[in-house]
Amino acid sequence: MLMALFLVSATALADAADVGKSLSVRTFTFKHKQAENAAAMIKSLMSADGTMSIQSKGNSLVVTDDPENLKKIAAALAEFDTAPQPFRVNVRLVSAGRNPAAKQGRVAEELRDIESKLTLLRYNVIEPVGAAEVTGKEGEPGLIDLTQYRADFQFGQYDPASDTIEISNFKLSRLDGDQLAPMMKTTLNLKLGQTVIMAVTRDARSNRALMLVLSAKR
Amino acid sequence: MMNCDSFRKRFHTGTEDAALLEHLRSCDRCLDFAAHVDPDVLFRSLGGSEMTPPGGLDAFVSGVMQQVRVRDAETVVATRRVVLWPRRLAMAAAVGAAVFGATMVYRVDAPVEQGRPRMAARQTGQAGLPVLHHQALTTKPVVAAYDSQNATIVEVPSEGTDDVKIVMVFDENLPADL
Repeated sequence: MLMALFLVSATALADAADVGKSLSVRTFTFKHKQAENAAAMIKSLMSADGTMSIQSKGNSLVVTDDPENLKKIAAALAEFDTAPQPFRVNVRLVSAGRNPAAKQGRVAEELRDIESKLTLLRYNVIEPVGAAEVTGKEGEPGLIDLTQYRADFQFGQYDPASDTIEISNFKLSRLDGDQLAPMMKTTLNLKLGQTVIMAVTRDARSNRALMLVLSAKR
Repeated sequence: MMNCDSFRKRFHTGTEDAALLEHLRSCDRCLDFAAHVDPDVLFRSLGGSEMTPPGGLDAFVSGVMQQVRVRDAETVVATRRVVLWPRRLAMAAAVGAAVFGATMVYRVDAPVEQGRPRMAARQTGQAGLPVLHHQALTTKPVVAAYDSQNATIVEVPSEGTDDVKIVMVFDENLPADL
């Protein structure tokens, strides 16, 4: 009896699944952003049955997916295809060291919000080097000038799916004498409102590190 | 055999007390407590105080503690799943009947249910689409690219709240003073 119940249920469910598998097609044409970038942005939102093709001639994207998923994709693309928006990027530079002779002191007032995280990294000498905030729109360059250090980058595109702004080609240089010596170059995805502590050091046993504390907001 | 109370009273940073370290091998809760007070304790309890794990000590400790928590969770789940076989049979029958009933109802209502969303879609149109209020649907790694042949990048998993994210970059090409 139980077996029969399951067999009937399974047949009915298979029929229901076939009905739910119908796919819809929509074409999205972009005014402000490139279709290629939009395609990369929605990749993670697509279902296993979804497909897309880029029509570079009309800067559009043809997406095939189930109707429910297509709604989510449409909403994300509508938010993505907006005129370049302004963002604020805050950068704090912190010098960190391990000195067995020194006691763990209290960190400076301007680093209190991340004190608990900094102590996790087991550096007991923590000194702020400088801080700056820069505002710019997507695609614009950004420059942060601190006493001994300089960072230049480009405001990349905002990705609504992950709520991140790309900070492209972030180049950090240090003033050696009267010349700027490049230290590192990276591209970062900063989630809006999230603070990122990037501890940079030569190796895990090193007693010194430079910490970049970054955050981005609208 | 030492109990947890006396362990926590006696435990201090840098301890080499054999009894304390022995207790750690059998008590996950005290291991969690001890790792917070003194991350090096994991090495001492293993008898390897001079080892340095790849990725750094903090990443190692974090990884081990994560495994301990996963094991705890698995144990809890496994314990709760103990159900007697007559009850399992009863549950299976109930589930089967519910599925059967639901699919019968679905079949009866199917033509009506299929019609409803189409009407709603026409009424709301483009404006009716849900608007995303900056709610992240996916996550991206913090470091999308890093220009160096000799760099190791470790993103420390966030605990619960994700307001602060820690990323460690070990790069042999950095200046010698770092």
